[in-house]
Amino acid sequence: MIGESWVTTTVDKLEEWGRNNSFWPLPFGTACCAIEFMSVVSSHYDMARFGYEVVRFSPRQSDVMIVAGTITDKMAPTLKRIYDQMPDPKWVVSMGACACSGGFYRAYHVMQGIDEIVPVDVYVPGCPPTPEGLMYGILQLKEKIKRDSKRRLKEKRAHGDDSGSAAA
Amino acid sequence: MPHSDTPEPYRYTLAERLYLPLLGGMWVTLRHFVGNLLGRRTSYTIEYPEERRAYSHRFRGHHILTSRPDGSLRCVACFLCATACPAECIHIEAGEHPDVNVEKYPVVYDIDMLRCVFCGYCVDACPEEAIIMSNNYDMAFFNRASSVVTKEELQKPFTYDQARLGYRPRYPEEEEQRARARRELQAGRVDLVGEARRRQEAAAAGPESSKSAAASS
Amino acid sequence: MPTATIPAPPLLDSLPEGSVEVVEGLDQPTWIVRRDALAQVARQLRDDPETQFDLLLDLCGVDYPDRDERFEAVYHLYSLPRAARLRLKVPVLEDDPVLPSLIDVWTAADWFEREAWDMFGLRFEGHPNLRRILTHEAFQGHPLRKDYDPARRWILTEDKIYKPNPQPTGSESVDDMFERMTINIGPSHPAMHGTFRVVATLDGEVIVASEVEIGYLHRCFEKMAETHTWQQVIPYTDRLNYCSSFINNVAYCRTVEKLMGIEAPPRAVWAQMILSEFSRIMDHCVCNGSTLVDTGALTNFWYMFQPREEIYGLLEACCGARLTVSACRIGGLLEDLPPDFEARCRHLLETVPEFIDDVDKVVTKNRIWLDRSVGVAAISAEEAVDHGWTGPCLRASGVDYDVRRAYPYDLYGEVDFEVPVFQGGDVFDRYRMRMEEIHQSLSIIRQLLDRGMPDGPYIVDDPHVALPPKEDAYNQMEAMIYHFKLIMDGIQVPPGELYHMVEGANGELGFYVISDGSGKPYRIKVRPPCFPIMASFSHLMQGGTISDAIATLGGLNIIAGELER
Ligand code: SF4
Ligand code: SF4
Ligand code: SF4
Repeated sequence: MIGESWVTTTVDKLEEWGRNNSFWPLPFGTACCAIEFMSVVSSHYDMARFGYEVVRFSPRQSDVMIVAGTITDKMAPTLKRIYDQMPDPKWVVSMGACACSGGFYRAYHVMQGIDEIVPVDVYVPGCPPTPEGLMYGILQLKEKIKRDSKRRLKEKRAHGDDSGSAAA
Repeated sequence: MPHSDTPEPYRYTLAERLYLPLLGGMWVTLRHFVGNLLGRRTSYTIEYPEERRAYSHRFRGHHILTSRPDGSLRCVACFLCATACPAECIHIEAGEHPDVNVEKYPVVYDIDMLRCVFCGYCVDACPEEAIIMSNNYDMAFFNRASSVVTKEELQKPFTYDQARLGYRPRYPEEEEQRARARRELQAGRVDLVGEARRRQEAAAAGPESSKSAAASS
Repeated sequence: MPTATIPAPPLLDSLPEGSVEVVEGLDQPTWIVRRDALAQVARQLRDDPETQFDLLLDLCGVDYPDRDERFEAVYHLYSLPRAARLRLKVPVLEDDPVLPSLIDVWTAADWFEREAWDMFGLRFEGHPNLRRILTHEAFQGHPLRKDYDPARRWILTEDKIYKPNPQPTGSESVDDMFERMTINIGPSHPAMHGTFRVVATLDGEVIVASEVEIGYLHRCFEKMAETHTWQQVIPYTDRLNYCSSFINNVAYCRTVEKLMGIEAPPRAVWAQMILSEFSRIMDHCVCNGSTLVDTGALTNFWYMFQPREEIYGLLEACCGARLTVSACRIGGLLEDLPPDFEARCRHLLETVPEFIDDVDKVVTKNRIWLDRSVGVAAISAEEAVDHGWTGPCLRASGVDYDVRRAYPYDLYGEVDFEVPVFQGGDVFDRYRMRMEEIHQSLSIIRQLLDRGMPDGPYIVDDPHVALPPKEDAYNQMEAMIYHFKLIMDGIQVPPGELYHMVEGANGELGFYVISDGSGKPYRIKVRPPCFPIMASFSHLMQGGTISDAIATLGGLNIIAGELER
């Protein structure tokens, strides 16, 4: 029993470590924020330093969706579909005022925040956020995932003990 | 129609036909590669978060509500900032101040950071220099509710640390620089390009020490 | 402005009595044309050797709910051979908002008419495909009508999404060798820059028919402008062409300044020109960089982005933000220039060419790139004009039209620069054009710096336009009152209408503004240079392969923010 839980915990930890240090972002860039996203991956800021450089345009290969830019009602079904296509576990970073809340476009064709259709993990304000701002957001996401997985581990352990004793 | 109706595409030269200029291109990439490998050329990457890009004094970041010497807010709840804001993200509720000499004060002063587009119009509008901006861009929120920052938060994290200030009505340091430039011009000592280079190097060498006090989140 | 007057009478005589009314516009002659005569007038304006209005710059609707004839369709024409401008206005009734379609006069009218239909509900008889273009399929109503609530949204569900199925029109290319296949690219596809959707029917590898769908970034700029004050529109203009937001700022501010009859002080103009040219360089860098990366030349993307980062540094030091600068104000600049402005500019003049030259050496003569680009998506001068093109793309087709040269605004009449022209009209020439323009821009900046920074104020000294200096606003009663008035009521622009244009990074960037004398714009129409260019994308793709289409799109420099506003 002990051996088994030790193995699963270690594997979980390893998984978490790997996950945290190699997000594969899916840039859902539509507007001005996408230009700043390009700065983040280009040489001045170079997201590769954190292991996040594997920018994937295919939802099936990525785990963090970075929504950079205004999402209009016309784009909404596409965004939703792409989010649904991403395999679990998946996270969403909403970059910029538009994606977070619609920004100053309180208008007839602009979605007032992508959280109307997809759950958002980190909101990064700014219009556009500076590249550092986005990186800060992504690092915050990393912290969040760490926290969450710690909590999950704890729960699992508690749960595991329960089932163990029940079996015994 | 006076315009031609047949495009005339570019004609390859013999060298291009033979792929010769490719070598020149490879030489460029090789030069960059070897240069970077041996560290002879400077690398442009900014090692955020350890190192920070030196933004100017005009950078429009997180807002600051300034205080009077006695610690109360300078804001008199005149609503000019809220009127000027194109994103309508400032929410103010005015209250009568106990001190009769002070007209009003904001009971509530919230800025919805997720709506804000950091245009600086509120700073321009304020007749009291009560709202200014910092150069802080480290902001991230985990939910919509926490993104509405209150007057306490707007006042708290940065008081008057000159290095952290951003867009605001007055720039004493720029006045100083202007005066110095004028003096140098009069003395006949102007080296514009050298000056720019020095600045660049100074910015590259001395990463700003001030570690970010995480704004919110 | 040297608008050549057009010898109207002979043409007017041949038209039915009362069909055209000539009025003197503030900026250019305006003809009010009766609807029944529109098709004839348009055709004659194009074909008459005295007029030759071969370029349809813009078409938009305007809504005047108080008038008998509620709607007005406004056409802006330009004659390349005669360098003349003309505005046509066609009033129509609310109950019967129908106009003849002008597609067979100017192909450019195609998308513009669709837009006017979408925004105002003007129907163009004879248009083959009068569908909504900017808003989505489930949208109801016409948002730019004055009685449309700006915040009224409609939800699009997946089952309502339009499914194009483009079929080749002629049966000439029936080839039974290959199976026909229809593929969908975008909107969320990196090569479509995240915001366009192309549905192409392939015959083997060759595109035989295609349909382009846009509107995925329609952010309602024009409606937003009507709900904000004149000053508050400036941050919105930043987000039109976000690769060179500074030029948008300048274009908008110039237009309003002209309408108000004020002039920005020389120091502001000087600085705005320098920063505009830097923005142009940046825009061209992004465009060429992304074209190259789309065709697989990744290294150049990094090289091209380097000068851009450097220029961002300068913009940030002047304006406080990297991308969305909001740095101009009506009547001048937001702030005085930083003390080291000139030094920084000179530093940039030294560093930027290094990176550009690197790219030049790597690709310009590289046969791999040449094979991908020479002769691809070529368009002749005649076709390009017919499609309403302007800017670098038009010049790459051999038409020498640059607003900076044709209508030298600001100081462009006083600096020495070339307008490069190439004859190929293909992807390669568009690329070369941009590389060449970068050098021209650098030379303009150098000359301006050598002229020296003009002394004086950076914004007009008029308390009805510009906020008084902060010191005064804090301490003097009078300045304080002006300050309050200006913030509370906004700038009061006298009633009138005006079209003003600058050379944007993509071509003629025009603002058509109408003021009714209230504190808010009555109507602002942007003449987005890439709108007509994108409209011909389908035509350009015809007969090419998918990989050609990708290279083409990159080279056209379509910026969604500006295209769809
Ligand atoms: S948040 Fe600002 S910069 Fe980002 S997409 Fe929206 S308008 Fe553009
Ligand atoms: S910076 Fe602009 S958007 Fe943000 S609070 Fe101030 S005025 Fe409003
Ligand atoms: S403009 Fe200044 S004083 Fe007036 S409410 Fe805003 S912050 Fe307070």
